[in-house]
Amino acid sequence: MSEFGFLDFNLVPLLPEVFLALSAMGFLLIGVSFGDEARRVIPWYALLALLMTGVLVSQVSFDDAIVLGGMFKADAYSGFVKLLIIGGVMATLGLSMRYLEQEHIDQMEFYVLVLLASVGMMFMVSAVNLLSLYMALELQSLSLYVLAAFNRQSPRAAEAGVKYFALGGLASGMMLFGISLIYGFTGSLDFGTLTASMMVMQPVPFAVIFGLVFLLAGLAFKLSAAPFHMWTPDVYEGAPTAVTALFAMVPKLAALALLMRILFEPFAYLVPQWEQIIIFLAVMSMIVGAFGAIAQSNIKRLIAYSSIGHIGYALIGVAAASEGGINAVLLHMLIYMAMTAGTFAVIMAMRRGGRSVERIDDLAGLSRSQPILAYALGILMFSMAGVPPFAGFFGKLMIFQAAIGAELYALAIFGVVASVVAAYYYLRIVKVMFFDEAVLMLDLNVLSGPQRFILACSVAFVLFFILSPSAFIDSTQLAAAALFPGR
Amino acid sequence: MFNETILIEYLPILIFIVLALGISGAAVIGSLLVAKQKPDPDKNAAYECGFDAFSDTRGKFDVRFYLVTLLFIIFDLEIAFLFPWAISLKDIGMFGFWSMMAFLGVLTVGFIYEWKKGALDWE
Amino acid sequence: MDVIAVFAPFFAFVLAGLLNRQIGDRGCQIVTCVGLLIAAAASIKLFLDFALGDQMPYVRVLAEWVAVGDFKVSWALRVDMLSVVMMNVITIVSSCVHIYSVGYMSHDEAKGRFMAYLSLFTFAMLMLVSADNLLQLFFGWEGVGLASYLLIGFWNEKHSANAAAQKAFIVNRIGDFGLTLGIFTIFLVFGSIEFETIFANVADQAETAFVFFGHEFHALTLIGLLLFIGATGKSAQLGLHVWLPDAMEGPTPVSALIHAATMVTAGVFLLARFSPVYEYAPFALAVVTVVGALTAFIAATIGLTQFDIKRVIAYSTMSQLGYMFFALGVSAYGAAMFHLMTHAFFKALLFLGAGSVIHALSGEQDMRKMGGIWKKIPVTYVLMWIGSLALAGVPFFAGYYSKDIMLEAAWARDTGVAHFAYWLGIAAAFMTAFYSWRLLFMTFHGKPRASAEVMHHVHESPPVMLVPLFVLALGALMAGAVFYQPFVGSAGGHEASAAHHTEPAHESPERWNRQAFWGPAIQVRPGNDTLEVAHNVADWVKRMPTVVGVLGIVLAFVMYILQPRLPGRMKEIFSAPHTLFYNKWFWDEIYQFVLVRPALLLGRMLSLGDRKVIDAVGPDGGARASGKIATALSHFQSGYIFQYAFVMMMALVAVLSWFAFRMG
Repeated sequence: MSEFGFLDFNLVPLLPEVFLALSAMGFLLIGVSFGDEARRVIPWYALLALLMTGVLVSQVSFDDAIVLGGMFKADAYSGFVKLLIIGGVMATLGLSMRYLEQEHIDQMEFYVLVLLASVGMMFMVSAVNLLSLYMALELQSLSLYVLAAFNRQSPRAAEAGVKYFALGGLASGMMLFGISLIYGFTGSLDFGTLTASMMVMQPVPFAVIFGLVFLLAGLAFKLSAAPFHMWTPDVYEGAPTAVTALFAMVPKLAALALLMRILFEPFAYLVPQWEQIIIFLAVMSMIVGAFGAIAQSNIKRLIAYSSIGHIGYALIGVAAASEGGINAVLLHMLIYMAMTAGTFAVIMAMRRGGRSVERIDDLAGLSRSQPILAYALGILMFSMAGVPPFAGFFGKLMIFQAAIGAELYALAIFGVVASVVAAYYYLRIVKVMFFDEAVLMLDLNVLSGPQRFILACSVAFVLFFILSPSAFIDSTQLAAAALFPGR
Repeated sequence: MFNETILIEYLPILIFIVLALGISGAAVIGSLLVAKQKPDPDKNAAYECGFDAFSDTRGKFDVRFYLVTLLFIIFDLEIAFLFPWAISLKDIGMFGFWSMMAFLGVLTVGFIYEWKKGALDWE
Repeated sequence: MDVIAVFAPFFAFVLAGLLNRQIGDRGCQIVTCVGLLIAAAASIKLFLDFALGDQMPYVRVLAEWVAVGDFKVSWALRVDMLSVVMMNVITIVSSCVHIYSVGYMSHDEAKGRFMAYLSLFTFAMLMLVSADNLLQLFFGWEGVGLASYLLIGFWNEKHSANAAAQKAFIVNRIGDFGLTLGIFTIFLVFGSIEFETIFANVADQAETAFVFFGHEFHALTLIGLLLFIGATGKSAQLGLHVWLPDAMEGPTPVSALIHAATMVTAGVFLLARFSPVYEYAPFALAVVTVVGALTAFIAATIGLTQFDIKRVIAYSTMSQLGYMFFALGVSAYGAAMFHLMTHAFFKALLFLGAGSVIHALSGEQDMRKMGGIWKKIPVTYVLMWIGSLALAGVPFFAGYYSKDIMLEAAWARDTGVAHFAYWLGIAAAFMTAFYSWRLLFMTFHGKPRASAEVMHHVHESPPVMLVPLFVLALGALMAGAVFYQPFVGSAGGHEASAAHHTEPAHESPERWNRQAFWGPAIQVRPGNDTLEVAHNVADWVKRMPTVVGVLGIVLAFVMYILQPRLPGRMKEIFSAPHTLFYNKWFWDEIYQFVLVRPALLLGRMLSLGDRKVIDAVGPDGGARASGKIATALSHFQSGYIFQYAFVMMMALVAVLSWFAFRMG
């Protein structure tokens, strides 16, 4: 009993997460106590809380501190990814507010769930223990399951939620099984200890690799990497657009960051083994992403396939297993997030007679009725397709450079071919907007101020990235160096 | 190798699983082999205190039963959590104490929420 | 100041281009004209700071652009005398053209678009001349190419305008290819594309050689030649000149601004900018001299026989550009820049004057259908005289000073190549004077050959078109005399020591000599200082250009005023040369036969194979296959959870079996 000091453990590196979690719970209480009055202010409170969390993340000095008994590590890598997560979530909230009102689902639980998911994601990128990793992942996933089915009136949303939940449970099970295998054969869940054991055990037992495969399969589900992507199109289509925007931007980034930490910290000595899995996932994702989208007529499904394809490119960077590769992945995801935010702003502008429409053909004639929107989406689509001089090109360029640097020539060539095929459906949207005659016009002036702002930022980013790419590459480089210390 | 020494600790569990499978399997297979088999449609009918069944056995439950059950399970788990915590509090120190406080705090927030939402009212 | 000068046109372009509909045609015209006037004022201020004040050259870094390893490029403005002179020429002429266009394009439908393009061009050109590195220069270079393409094809309902625009674009592409190769070579040799680094290390690389295909190439000569190919394209030198006459399909203000005063001089600027490199590449300089001299001569001979008023001036432009290039070739960079400036004024004046004539004659461009209109448009007539006098190099007009000093420098160089250039230059000077007055006499004098209806409409242009002409005329009158001393004047008692031009001169008159004026922007090796020698060449060398010029005028007077039947006779007597000249030395036909037709033939053959083999297997087949794969994939997407779970499990099993197989 002698050790009972008041606080004999360091909580400072946890400050952002603790703050955000407390805010989420506080909003829950406020929301449930004040009802309708709170409904209008909570979105702004949530944005403010995220902003403050962002400030905390950037201000709290981490010094690679490992706290919570080896469960949680705050370093430059996690700091950068957390900032991206917060930025993505803020963009989602900015996009969502008006949309939720329009769809009559503007309940405060949405914001609380989004914040809790953010807390989960922030813990994910800082997790350095398989146990805390799993806990964080589940916190995130459970929030997202509910969000997917948030529109209770819509059978499609409910279907999406159930599918996501059931398959997510399966994936979690795979992951847990993988973790238990790894634990069984190494006797540890801690990343540091795992690294040490891997170094000692050469060759690594078969079962550990099996465990890794299960673990990666579970993560691939979260990433929506093919062939674990099956839920993605259905959920993207069924979930409310605001939630789809969140799905497309943020959780993938967190899962990818988590994946890279697992692969480059405890399993750094198994590169030859996991590289095969990652290449398999990358190739499958690129195939599915490129070809799957061709037959789609719903724009949200199309974006789902597009996100699968982009995860495929990102996995090429992971497979490169180099600092440049990590750097490229982070940059690619940053650019992808920025492009996606703008794209969803346009998707939310697709309403006719006060109801949201989602078919690609509904965009016909947009260049005449709303030229600014059409040009914005056109630029974003060109960027998604990786056409220079837009930002999307540089993300892909860095990825392919990293692949070539790692002598993965076939994979790089495959990536280029896949992006050529993918260009078809991006350009099809441009074609529909600019060359097809509209049968029915879309509503005008649908977007709110925050939505316009996000669209403008997104397009500006895509357009002007070329002017000063180093501003972004420098920070991704720092983050990458933190994860890949001079090996 | 050291991983085998760890695995050896799980040997009792393995033995337990085998025993459980063996006994339950023996019961099922034993009854199948030893007992007399006389199939009858009445044997499959729902049993309701001697008179004919009023309705289908797969009757509809009010969804509120599930809700209450779920809410109950959370607190059930809380108790299950508190026991080991109370026993080992001496060893886990202040960190352990505050961890449980945080956990209870989160549960309390959830409880307030469900109360205010009216999830506990039957009508 | 520098930032305002460069970016004012850009903002004008953005406003006029993007808000075209909101601010209307009038708004676009006001925005662009005001933007240009601000830029011009800023440039003039900058020039005064340099010429009269003690302003030293500087580089203003605006932003970092690309930093990849050792390869660093910034957005920066390099402000020294060379760029300041160019900025002045560009902004002043461009302002005049902008204002003139308000009147000239008043009947057009897309005024706003036109003004926006003009401003875009001006911005790109300013970016080109103020570049601090080759990448930014290339940005400006392509920017002006784009603007030129857009403006040549401005009347895009005309088939010939579209064809001309494409021709200009494609021919320029060849030159640009040379330029890009040059940039690559420079990066290879110097490890940098920043001017500062390149020029500082030229002397170290003087002996560097490449071995390529078993031949050894002198690195700096190779760079010089490659850059010159770029310049040849942009500045319409012999070989890649075919686009310039066709470019006259664009509206006349465009011809004045882009195809006379500024863009076509980009090549001259490029070579002057790279004077430190060229000084170490004597062979490249000799090539420049020969090509320049030949261009001056051949273009002049073609100019003798053309009937389209704008084409005559276009060939004259080409010829004058030839002069500038051989001046560069004999290391008289200052003289080339001097002529560039004076030429910008009087050639823009001539073009805009010709535009005024065309405007007056309801769009007629054929000189055979003009004549006898000088009384009806006296102001234009006088202005055209001033322009022609300056062009022909009649004493005390701007062209007199600049053309003479170039020819003198060519003589002073005292090599075979340079003498060749001198004599061709003299011959061209004679022809220049002749065709200028041929143009004047055919257009304004004699009996009216236009239809009565057209003659009835002939009217003087509105003031908005005439005022810019007065400004340019002032330049054509004065620019030569005023700027002779600073641009090319003798360095006087000062020794041509390297130390001298780095010291700031404190008294302003002292700055008014060539070396102090240009400062380090133009570097000439001591043995090559032809401009100094040029002031001391024999008297007959100095007088020759003037004499032949006057002779040319007299001959034109005899042939087109006194004996109007003489030209016809001459044509019969010299039918062979005439045919050659009239058909522009058959350049287009030769290209058609040697390059275009075989290329087309090859293309057709390849396209056949392409469609039957490559397309069938590649794109078309690929597209069909893509469709099939897409359909196949969509079968998996059944919507049933159990099927999704099954796929996941199968994938897991597949990966596990793969490892079991590999490791087992």
